[in-house]
Amino acid sequence: MQLYLPIAEIPVNIFVIFGMGGAVGFLSGLFGIGGGFLLTPLLIFSGIPPAVSVATVTTQVVASSASAVITYWRRKAIDFKLAFMLLIGGIAGSALGVVLFDVLQSLGQLDLVISISYVTFLGTIGGLMLVESLRAIRRRRTGHVPSARRPGQHNWIHGLPFKMRFRQSKLYVSVIPILFLGSSIGFLGTVLGIGGGFMMVPALIYLLRVPTGIVIGTSLLQILFTMAAATILHSMSTQTVDIVLALTLMIGGVIGAQFGARMGQNLRGEHLRLLLALLVLGVGLRFAIDLLLTPENVYSIAIMKGAGA
Amino acid sequence: MTSFASCLTSPLAGAIVALSLLASSSMTMAQVKLGQTTQAGGQQEIATQDLVTSMSSDIVSIQSNFTGTEIVIFGQISDGLKKSHPDSKYDLAITVEGPSQDITTRRKDRFLGVWINRHYETFQNVPSFYAAATTRNVGDLAHRDVLDDNAIGLFHLNLPVSGHSGVPVNDRDDFRKAFLELRQQEGLYSERPGAIQFLTNTMFRTTVPLPANIPVGAYKVRSFLFEDGSLLARQEAQLYVGKVGFEQLTFNLSRNYPFFYGLLAVVLAVLTGWLAGVIFRRD
Repeated sequence: MQLYLPIAEIPVNIFVIFGMGGAVGFLSGLFGIGGGFLLTPLLIFSGIPPAVSVATVTTQVVASSASAVITYWRRKAIDFKLAFMLLIGGIAGSALGVVLFDVLQSLGQLDLVISISYVTFLGTIGGLMLVESLRAIRRRRTGHVPSARRPGQHNWIHGLPFKMRFRQSKLYVSVIPILFLGSSIGFLGTVLGIGGGFMMVPALIYLLRVPTGIVIGTSLLQILFTMAAATILHSMSTQTVDIVLALTLMIGGVIGAQFGARMGQNLRGEHLRLLLALLVLGVGLRFAIDLLLTPENVYSIAIMKGAGA
Repeated sequence: MTSFASCLTSPLAGAIVALSLLASSSMTMAQVKLGQTTQAGGQQEIATQDLVTSMSSDIVSIQSNFTGTEIVIFGQISDGLKKSHPDSKYDLAITVEGPSQDITTRRKDRFLGVWINRHYETFQNVPSFYAAATTRNVGDLAHRDVLDDNAIGLFHLNLPVSGHSGVPVNDRDDFRKAFLELRQQEGLYSERPGAIQFLTNTMFRTTVPLPANIPVGAYKVRSFLFEDGSLLARQEAQLYVGKVGFEQLTFNLSRNYPFFYGLLAVVLAVLTGWLAGVIFRRD
């Protein structure tokens, strides 16, 4: 069934979009990620204009994270103070991201920046996760039981000024790295159309030593608000949020996420992380190939002004 | 824009209307006489050169189920029109032009091993949609100047470039060609020789497909009548392409009240997420 998208101004097959949302939702439920980094390229690949894809995925991430936040809220696994500080950084980063998005779009380098960023971030994080999960699998085989949290062990970040106490996370840490982390991820999320959960979670665990039980709920709450801000900022600045596309994606997404979450409970943590690492690396590789291979057509056109711009 | 809803005539119904309008030579049809601009110089006896056309519908409404459509254009060459030679043939060209756009064409080059957009050329005020239907090859219709002046045929479109272009002069044609090719691939530009059929000696008909990705706005439908390479008559009509109903409402909201539109998107997203949590709640 074809459905005409009022902002993208093209008709799409609603079942294909619904299926994409469902598939990405399934993976996001399985791995506990937003899935924006998978959905944005999928949409672009299926012919939705890149600007519309990026902006609309921010809305879809709001829906998927809202669903999960409610679950973590019930379990009281959210550090609201930490999330609030991350959010302050996040909104500043988003505002900056929207400005850069506009500039890059007019320069014609948006696709390049998106591609290079995907290759860099997905390659790095996928690689790190791959190594970490393989080590964990090997450790389990050899019978070692590692202690995930080593209290008392500090790094340079804990020596920074402007310290603040976060009771829920049992942390006493400087706000500088928190604001920096929040703004970096808000910035990337807005430019790339990703929630950034797959960067936020490891950063909170390894850099700030936030307890693992608190991390996901807190990160999701911050992503929820950052992406909500990004949706509004995109609506006002680039005007490329397609509400019909977003709604189709999010309905597919939240349904898929439930099935993914159920399946995820039957898989071991390190196996999940290994699969996710391979997935992340795969998407990164796909972008790398596009950058390096000779394109089919070296010419491309973009509407700058007038109908449909 | 408010009248769109009342004009959802199908092409077929529109065609019948068009035929009946032709028969009664209704006043709704514009008639343009071209006494002096024709090149049939010195032949005063053909002063009543007339060309009348009508479209199946002068409004294309885009709704949520829009997947493209087509318009049928009918026309009649006046009976009073005498040919300069009894055995010479009429030729026709009909062009449909969408609202203008500025379009940047970019070319990728290899830079440090990576393919990136380097040179670009911006074409200003070019049609967002262009379809030409003709009775035969565009080049055979008339002299190049006539085709250029009236923008008949893809290679006679005026594609002005912006002043600050960094493209080497001998590459300019490549950009122009690439631009036309890409637009043709998108289905937004087309040239179809032989697409106009004569129903009788003086009555003709053509169908112009409008793809699903057509831009909204006011379109110009122009018809040209040629005889032995000279332009005898020209006629112009308007066609509106617009979103209606929900599509129009959504689009207008996103443009006129962007903050509320964004807020609405967020509220919808949170609501969907919350609803999913409630429905699938396991504890």
